[in-house]
Amino acid sequence: MEYIVETKKLTKRFGKEYAVADLEMKIPRGEIYGFLGPNGAGKTTTIRMLLGLMKPTAGSVQVFGKDLRKDRINILNKVGSLVENPSYYPHLTANENLEALRKIYGVPKTRIAEVLEIVRLSDVGNKKVKGFSLGMKQRLGIAASLLNSPELLILDEPTNGLDPSGIIEIRNLIKRLPKEYGMTILISSHLLSEIDQIATTVGIVSKGKMIFQDSIETMRLYSKQKLVLKVNDSEKAWRSLIAKGIKAELEEGIISLFEQSDKGVAMAVRSLVQDGYSIYRVEEEKRSLEDTFLQMTAEEKVL
Amino acid sequence: MMKNLLAAECLKIRRKGIWFLTFLGPFGVVALQMVNYGVRKDYLLQQSEDDWGYYLQNISTFTPFALILGIVILTSFMASIENETNAWKQLVALPVSKLEVYLSKYTVLTFLLLISTCLLTVFTLAYGVFLDLGEIPYVELWKNSFYPFVAALPVLGLQLWISCVSQNQGLPITIGVIGVILSFMAYSLPDWLIWKWPSLINQWDEPLINVGLGLGVGVILYIAGTVDFIRRDVK
Repeated sequence: MEYIVETKKLTKRFGKEYAVADLEMKIPRGEIYGFLGPNGAGKTTTIRMLLGLMKPTAGSVQVFGKDLRKDRINILNKVGSLVENPSYYPHLTANENLEALRKIYGVPKTRIAEVLEIVRLSDVGNKKVKGFSLGMKQRLGIAASLLNSPELLILDEPTNGLDPSGIIEIRNLIKRLPKEYGMTILISSHLLSEIDQIATTVGIVSKGKMIFQDSIETMRLYSKQKLVLKVNDSEKAWRSLIAKGIKAELEEGIISLFEQSDKGVAMAVRSLVQDGYSIYRVEEEKRSLEDTFLQMTAEEKVL
Repeated sequence: MMKNLLAAECLKIRRKGIWFLTFLGPFGVVALQMVNYGVRKDYLLQQSEDDWGYYLQNISTFTPFALILGIVILTSFMASIENETNAWKQLVALPVSKLEVYLSKYTVLTFLLLISTCLLTVFTLAYGVFLDLGEIPYVELWKNSFYPFVAALPVLGLQLWISCVSQNQGLPITIGVIGVILSFMAYSLPDWLIWKWPSLINQWDEPLINVGLGLGVGVILYIAGTVDFIRRDVK
């Protein structure tokens, strides 16, 4: 598989604290990579190292198959980024802000109107950014990151501080980019629900270590649903199910079935009814990704 | 690349009052002499046979002070443009080297100070002609404006360095204010203090020593600033 970003044993130490430790990140081409982790897990530090803003204490970063240390300028030519809070020049208008960056990229002037159109800021292009709302500033930051039509877009918490409609708008925009422009996207967040809805690959970081990295489907497997039954005499009912060869588990008076097909569930229920048990509830219990995420990061804390 | 960066820097200093300050500095220095000569011209002309020389000497009393104050204000403005919303992280994540980023800031500042220096020469000349002081000593006039500028380069290098690397702008401003105060009492300062140099005073009575020192130490401080700026992580 072709990786757009690949880090090897990436480490960053601040004094005695390891902000990032032996991190191996692999982002395949054309994916939306959701970079998840609780606050202070080392997401922003990692992103800063990917952009060459910080020098790693140890380890290496390869972007587009090139070493970041050697080819930093060539690499950054094809990378767009928005790190943490959006940076802007408040005394300049949106157009001028983009113009200051455009001059450095050396892309055509028409690109400014294009990116403003993408983030729907065309009608405030001539207003000073000082007066913008946080959402507008955030969108201006995204516009700036798209200015050079990057192949890799790095967005650090892009929906921070946005209202629900703004979040949806940004989400739809991010979903569109890989298809329409062939971009690969790295998006970090501490909110799993955010990543769940857009990412195709997920990396979970906790205390500076990568604790999970795979496709979102694989992650969903961890959060399988269960079917639970509440009956009057659960212990006996459970035994009768087991006796009939139906796999089930008993926990605190609640029976959970492994069999999840409609047929299997029907059979289990029928057998219980025929044996004279009263069934109070048949419920589907979905273990959310949120739980999985919390569990994964909590396990780390114990260590 | 440098050209693009410089164009971007020039765009960023718009509406910050930076151009106005560039004009105000030299104008202020000459305006003080307008007041001085306006009030007691006859008395002042009696003080010396060399009216132009005496006039230039009067002008140069305030040049170092205005120069150092100007450097402090301009560098802190320049740095504040990036510090305000921590735009350093955006700027450095662009396909530019940190060396060029620092150099572009330094170049723009030097350019602005050069404009101030040229304006000082023009204003000095214009008011001198207005006073009708006799034959114009062009070389002396030129030296009077440009020597202090070159001698002040170390202060520029130091202020830009501190403003660009410190998170808290209190530090560069404090050092700047101390520098301005020191420049006021240049006469009683030891020769090795960089804030004394723009006054062109030294124990050998040779202004060129200050100019040479300014250039040499200016370059050293510029290089030190660049190296430190490159070495540091962008927060």
